[in-house]
Order: sequence, then structure tokens, then C-alpha cells
Amino acid sequence: MSSDGQQPTTTMTFELLKTAIKDGGARLGRLTFSGRRTVDTPNFFGLTSRGVIPHVTPDNVEKHLHTNGTYMALEDFIERPQQYMTRSPPIYETPSPVNKPLNSFTAMPSSIITVLGSRRLPAVCSPMGNTNQGISVFTSTGFQAVTTKEYINAVQTLNPDIAIPLADLTHKTNTPTSKRALRMAERTDDWIKEWFTEMYTKKDSKIATFAPVLPISYSMQWEYLERLSEEHASNPAVLSGLAVYDADLIPDISSSSSSSNKYKNLDPLPRLALTAPSNPHQVLRQLSLGMDIFLLPFLSTASDAGIALSFTFPPPPPPPNNPTSTSTSESAAAPESDLPLPLLPLGIDMSSPSHSVSLLPLTTNSCTCYACTTHHRAFVQHLLCAREMLGWTLLQIHNHAVVASFFAAIREALADGTFEEKARLFALRYEPEIPSGLGERPRARGYHFKSEGPNEVKKNKPAWSKFEGEGEGGEQGKEEKKEKTVEEKVDELRIQDEQSGTTSALASGVDSVAETPLVPDENADAKDLEEKGFAETVEEKK
Amino acid sequence: MPVATQASLKGITPEQLESTGCRLCLNNTYHLGLKPGQEVLDAVGGAHKLQGWKHNLLTDSGGFQMVSLLKLAKVTEEGVRFLSPHDGSPMLLTPEHSMSLQNSIGSDIMMQLDDVLVTTHPDKARMREAMERSVRWLDRCIKAHKHPDRQNLFCIIQGGLDLEMRRECCREMVARDTPGIAIGGLSGGEAKDDFCKVVATCTELLPELKPRYVMGIGYPEDLVVSTALGADMFDCVWPTRTARFGNAITKHGVLNMKKEQYAKDFGPIEDGCGCPCCRPVDQEGAIGVTRAFVHHNSAKETVAAHLLTIHNVWYQLHLMGGARDAIIADKFPAFVKEFFSNLYPDRKSYPSWAVNALKTVGIDLFES
Ligand SMILES: [Zn+2]
Ligand SMILES: [Zn+2]
Repeated sequence: MSSDGQQPTTTMTFELLKTAIKDGGARLGRLTFSGRRTVDTPNFFGLTSRGVIPHVTPDNVEKHLHTNGTYMALEDFIERPQQYMTRSPPIYETPSPVNKPLNSFTAMPSSIITVLGSRRLPAVCSPMGNTNQGISVFTSTGFQAVTTKEYINAVQTLNPDIAIPLADLTHKTNTPTSKRALRMAERTDDWIKEWFTEMYTKKDSKIATFAPVLPISYSMQWEYLERLSEEHASNPAVLSGLAVYDADLIPDISSSSSSSNKYKNLDPLPRLALTAPSNPHQVLRQLSLGMDIFLLPFLSTASDAGIALSFTFPPPPPPPNNPTSTSTSESAAAPESDLPLPLLPLGIDMSSPSHSVSLLPLTTNSCTCYACTTHHRAFVQHLLCAREMLGWTLLQIHNHAVVASFFAAIREALADGTFEEKARLFALRYEPEIPSGLGERPRARGYHFKSEGPNEVKKNKPAWSKFEGEGEGGEQGKEEKKEKTVEEKVDELRIQDEQSGTTSALASGVDSVAETPLVPDENADAKDLEEKGFAETVEEKK
Repeated sequence: MPVATQASLKGITPEQLESTGCRLCLNNTYHLGLKPGQEVLDAVGGAHKLQGWKHNLLTDSGGFQMVSLLKLAKVTEEGVRFLSPHDGSPMLLTPEHSMSLQNSIGSDIMMQLDDVLVTTHPDKARMREAMERSVRWLDRCIKAHKHPDRQNLFCIIQGGLDLEMRRECCREMVARDTPGIAIGGLSGGEAKDDFCKVVATCTELLPELKPRYVMGIGYPEDLVVSTALGADMFDCVWPTRTARFGNAITKHGVLNMKKEQYAKDFGPIEDGCGCPCCRPVDQEGAIGVTRAFVHHNSAKETVAAHLLTIHNVWYQLHLMGGARDAIIADKFPAFVKEFFSNLYPDRKSYPSWAVNALKTVGIDLFES
């Protein structure tokens, strides 16, 4: 399409260095964008909320987070505040000297690859449903419709490195009826036609399109997939990758495992997982099916829960003195020497009082992250217990580092042919789930946690509520809000005060009264105070 | 000094705090005494080690929080008596206990336990009692202080708004030769004129070569005027706390980033500010934050508060840095004038307390 003949229409390249057939289909690759960090795959991208990795400022993302890319959701940027219904979303007007408004608006370092999708991951299911014109999204001001046209305009304006076209998804946990599934495929097919035309026929977009592969059976979407394949065959620039919503679809579209070679030209495309795996076991499974890049909601979930992830790939060797060697004498029928080993946890609950005087790094497996090299468990435990925000920041940094090392080790194993064996050991050695953690969560970040009926998977598990006080996350949020308004009022006073140019004595007076950043625990009693060594209990004289 | 109440400055890392130029920050003894508690502090090896802070720490005595947080606190000669917030059983914080806690914390500057009263307290006799008791408590603190070789104990001047009582207290305290001296009891709602008189009265009597610390002071104009009156150091939670409500401190006043007018404002939080958030993006360590982005995430993602915290702390430290430079260059009056003209576009709205206080030290805000 480009007439000068030297630049392909997209600046992205993806090389497959190795496909490990014997490992089921896991692949080793390298994704490159000019001017961005190179991404060796398999790998993961950071998952943002409203354009930020939760709790981590953009400078720390660049310095400490070990992620080369981030996923952002358009619905996080297009709310319509009631009083300003008619204003266009501010993000569309972001000036950007590097022509990357999405990076510029979010202060995301330009070295980091940005992926733009329509919905958050995981997305809240909309009661309004999608239409032929587009989808329903959930913003901080409520549900609203986004048409295919609006979405295409948004993508062209924001100019992410990678964009995922709209897909007709239900975001429900149950499988759609076959009638609904068929309509999902048809709509997505219609929408992708429009997408290709608007992006690459009428314009000459440099944005890399990662087309959705739907979470419905292959038989329901083969026509749509065929279109992708054909369009790509006639113009490779229109399709740079696949956004896969169900890893089990990969065998159907990969020529190595499927009987037909129908989709051979889709094989070399990078596959981005929008599957939200809930633990590293699921990551390994999807990776074995041929997934290349992951988005991992469990990272922030673990950090918010006070969990420091602690797994490594491969798992550490069994202790020299392992229980199996002693047990073999008792039970001769235990030939599998690695089976009876106690399972290792995938993460450690940092809020546990057992860490309160521990000067160890967060996890002992030689993690080199900022949190582990400059801080220790005792500090993180204290921060979580005092509900200081830095606790969650440090955990985010650590947890991202653990997963970065996990992927680096996987790539090494794929390169030297040891992946299958190491993955087997990993499955045997670690507990199936990441512990849920007993620490108090940060205040549920508002509207994303809105309840929307019986099918919703609760973000704030009910079990948490008893540690947060009465009610559920939402209630708690309200309560905190109430508490803060006094302080907010003080600040408002102060501002009005300043604007009117009068003395700030009044404000400062109120200020010191409202200065109650923390009171002792609800449950603290005199004995606690004494035990903690703050003061001594007084025996009243009789 | 920014205030890291519970050994953490509102979500920013010690590394980021360092990058704002901060070399001394405050921890609250009351909070650290409860969480993580003295036993943990001893086991970990103090608060520096706990929070990974390579620079200086100052701790208060814990008494002020007692009195202000727990309404039922009662001060006796022995110490601060209060009822446990939960079960109502009586508790006691003594000067000795406060010292022991601060020794465990290992702060570079520690404060004596004092008998704090709001300066507007109407009872003169009680005010005198509090002042004299604070002197007696200083003696007990000095005696109980285990590490005078490596921790600096500051005394605290009390005496409310009674200047004669303040003078008397100054003489008594100075005679005890602590490494530094604090002026306490202010920021409690007294008129600004009275505040300035107290600061000026005390600084006049204090020795030249000891740092003078006005406690709990933090609005920019308070810092500048108090500096003019001869004070050296200050602390306030306001810059970090106000950040959490979306407020940015700038030389033109406080701006609330939540306001709609900033939704499409793609300028830095403050033009010309050198903090990591605001400095031009082509400079080392620049984050490239816009007002629009802070607006977008105010009250929605903690990161917005972290960014404003970095900016606000930088602003306050930079303001004091500017004052130091001006003093060295012998241009302090010009610095003060510029500060007020930036803050108040109309001279007529200059606060009279500041105008009057500055006049007493020979700075005339209206002279051009
Ligand atoms: Zn780590
Ligand atoms: Zn700034």
C-alpha cells in the first residue's frame, strides 16, 4: 500500500524462533516494534486500570516493573459525567509530540508497547447487551454504547501500537446458546469487515490489528476465521496478530495440530491471551497450546490481597532430606519419588504476623526486584497491617518481577528443549491456586466492582468483608468516603479561603481538629496497647 | 519535613521520596508505637531499617496525638493518662516511656514529651502548669534518653499565647542545652497575628547555632513568614494529605485537579516546576504527567494521589530551598515579595497578619 516501497504498512514484526511440537505447540518468538522495547515471547503485558498499573506510578513502571507492554481499555477513558454530558472525552484531545496520544495521556513511557481494547479485563457484563451497531461498555459513570464507528475513530485518534477490534462478547461465565454464539460470530465478522476497510483500505493505518478469536466453539466461527485468513492472505498488513479469548481454540486454527492446513497463514501471527488465567498452571497450559503473550489479572488481585507470589520455573529442587526417602522404606509401593512431596504455595501472605520481624526479602528465591533488594517482609507486613498504600505498590513490583522471571525461565526451557519436563515438575510441585490472603484489601476501586446480578464473579470476595468491617466492599467504600468528607471539607475551606484571599487561620484551625489519620484498631484494647509497648496500663488505686 | 506517619509517605517509595530532595522526614511515635510496636522495632533495628530510609528521621513524642486523638486524655505529673479507646481501661504515657519508644525507633531527632495545650486555652493557671510541667518533663526525658550520642533530643517551648510565659519557658529550656529547640502548641487555631508574635518572641531568645523547629506548620505562607521570623524547620501533613483529595500546591495557590476545568488541561501540574511529574519530558527522570491525567484518576486510582504527593512534597522542599538560596545570596526580602506576589495577584488581598509580621523584621511587602 505504501508507494515508497520501503516500509510495510505496520511497524510490527514477529519472528517465531522455535515451535516446540513435542511440547504440544508452545512457541518461542520475538515481537518487535520500532522505537519500543523488544518482547521475547512467551511473555506478559501489564494490565492497566484507567491507564495505570494499579498502585504503580509511571516512573516506577519504567524503572521497576519489568514489563514491555501494557493493555488499556477504551471504556476507562470515555465516561460522561452528568454535568458534562456533551463534552468529548479529554483523552481524544491529548497533544502528543511522538504521535502516541494514548502513551502521552497516561504518562506511559514511550518505550512501552500499548495495546488498546474496548473492555477491561475481566469486563463487567452489561445488562444492556450489544447491538448490530456496537457494544455496551461500562465506564465510571455507567453503561454506555460504543458503536463500531466510534471505536474505530477512537483507535485512530489514540494510535496505540496494537488495537483489538470490537468483538460481540457476552462477558458472562456461562456458555452462550448456539443461537447467540452464531450471532456473535456473524456480528464480529461484520465488524471486522468494516474495520479492515476503515483502517487499511480508506486509511493507511500503522496500528497492528490483533483480531479477536471468539470464546465459542470452532464450528460456530469457522466462517469468520476463514475471512481473517483470506483477508490476511490478500494483504498481510491488515492483520498482525490474534486476540484469543479461549486458548482451546488454538488447536483448531493452528496447522501443526489441526488436520487441515486451512489457516496456515495465521500460524505465524502472535497470539495475545484475553483469557484471564487465574494462576500459573493455567498460563503453562495455554502456553503449551501456543499462546504467546498474556494479560494476567491475578497479578493485581494477588497484590491487593497482600500476597507475594513465590513460584519459580522450574520449581526448586526437592530438599535433600525429603520425606519420600524415608517413606520408601515404609511403603515399597511408592515408585514416584516426586509425588508425595508437600506442595509448595504459589504465594506467601505478607500480612501474616509471622513476618513482623523478618528481614528476609519478600520471597527467598533470589528475586532481584526493587522490593526484595531494598525492603524486607517486616516492612511490607507493617504497611499491609497499617493499610499504607506503599504495601500494595511494593507487592505489585515484586509480583510483576516474579512473573517476568517465570516467563524468562520458560523461554530458556523452550530454547533448550527442557520445557515439557519442567512444566510437568511445576504442575506436581505447586499448589493448584494462589492463596487468597487474609490481609485487608485496598478500598475496592469504585465502580469496577459494581454488582450486576447473579452471574457476576465478585471481585471482592464475601470472605473479605469480615476483615473490612460491616457489609461488602461497596458499603465499605461508602463508609470511608463519609469519613473523608470532613477532611475534604477542610481542604475545600482552605481553597476557598485562598481564593478569597482571606487568612487561612480558620482553615488551619479546623485542619488540626480533623487531623486523625489513624486511630488504633477497632479491636485494640488496653492490653494491645501495652503489649505493643505504647504505654503502660495503670492499676487504679483502690 | 514531609510526614510519613506510619513509616511510609502515602504510597511513594523511599526512593521516590529521596528524588524529591527530602533528607529529613517525620514519623509519628504514637502510630509506630502501636504498629508495628516497640518489640518489632527493637527486633528489626529501628525505623530507618524498617522503612529502608537512608536519611534522617524525626519523631514526635507521641503525646500530641494522645491528646488530640483521644479526647479522654488527662495529663498528670506522672504523664499522659488516657482511657484505652476500646475497653476504657486506664493507660499512661510517661516521659520515660516516650523516650524508650523513640530510642527503639532510633530517630535522628526526637522530641521531648510535653504537656500540650491549645494556645487558645482560656485557663491561665493551667497554661502555666503545662509550661512548667513541660520543663520538668524535659529533665526526665534527658535522664531517660539512652542514646544522647546518636539521637538528638529537642525540647519544646510551651506557654500558649502569653509572651512572658514563652520567654520564661525559653530561658528554662535553653539552660538545659538540648541540641535543638522546638516551638510547640501552635497550629491550634490561634489568630495568625498571635502565632507570629509567639514565633518572633521565641526566636529572639534562642541561641543562634541551634535549629529552631516550629511544630505542625505547613502552609506555604506560614513557612515563608516563620522563616523570616527566624525559624529553621517545619513539619506538616497537609501537603501529602491534600494530595489525596486531588489538590496541587503551586506558587499561585492550591489547585483542585478534580475540577472540570482541568479535564482537558494538558499542561504540567505546575508550569516551571522541576519535580519528576512536571519537569519537561525530555529531561532525566521526567514522568510527563498532565493535569488532565491527574484529573482523570483523582479519587479513582491511587496513582493520582502518589503523583500529587511527589509534586507537593517537591514544592514545599523547593520553596525552602529557594529561601535558603535567597538568604545566602542576601536577597531574602526580594524572595518573600516574589512569593507573595505570585500567591496573590492583587496586593490588596495580601493577608494582613503576614504583612504586619514581615514588617517587624524589616520586610515591607508593599515597597517595590
Ligand atoms: Zn521481589
Ligand atoms: Zn511538579
